[in-house]
Amino acid sequence: MNNPYPIRESNIGSICIVSAASSAVVQVGDRGETNARLRALAVQRQEDHTRAGDVFFESYTIFSRDMPELTDPDYEEGRVIRLDRVNCSPRITVGCIHIIAAGSAASVLAGNGMRLTADSKIKHIRQYPRPRPYPPAGC
Amino acid sequence: MIHFKVVNHKLSVGHIEMLGVSSASMVQVGDTDNVSLYSMFDTPPESVIVGPLAPFPLPESASEALVEGTEVAEESD
Repeated sequence: MNNPYPIRESNIGSICIVSAASSAVVQVGDRGETNARLRALAVQRQEDHTRAGDVFFESYTIFSRDMPELTDPDYEEGRVIRLDRVNCSPRITVGCIHIIAAGSAASVLAGNGMRLTADSKIKHIRQYPRPRPYPPAGC
Repeated sequence: MIHFKVVNHKLSVGHIEMLGVSSASMVQVGDTDNVSLYSMFDTPPESVIVGPLAPFPLPESASEALVEGTEVAEESD
């Protein structure tokens, strides 16, 4: 069975996005390779940020930790997977896409892509003074 | 040798409605070869609430009750 349509088109009636912020990507068209990364420190403090000092990514091991690797014994043994795709229709059709918010290195793509790698690392910190213990009885 | 064969028939969607796409996620209308998405989130344990009830603050007389409790413990010693 030969492939009548080697590349499919994407056909979208309308896209409505209210907000695309914080390194979000909205693309209409094809794309080769995407590498999206997000590193965030979400700090909740009692003191003002100007007085309480800076926070550093280097202080937290989550940002230097390696990503887990997918182990594929078939691939490692040299047994290569052969993938054949047959497209019976020349296009993918969507009537309407409504997205309220896209953010934090997210990707909204209408079209073909080849390779997409995205990773996000978020460290949430709360900086509040420890509540003082109750004084012992008799004080 | 593994032979993986995919046959894509006609694909037609009426309406897609989404609240949010966040933290290195993707929405795609189209074909792709390879997708890897990673997400790590580290949060203080006390901000994860497991259960149907929201935590309430201590009642006003809690400090008195705690002090009384320590007195009782000392007497028993």
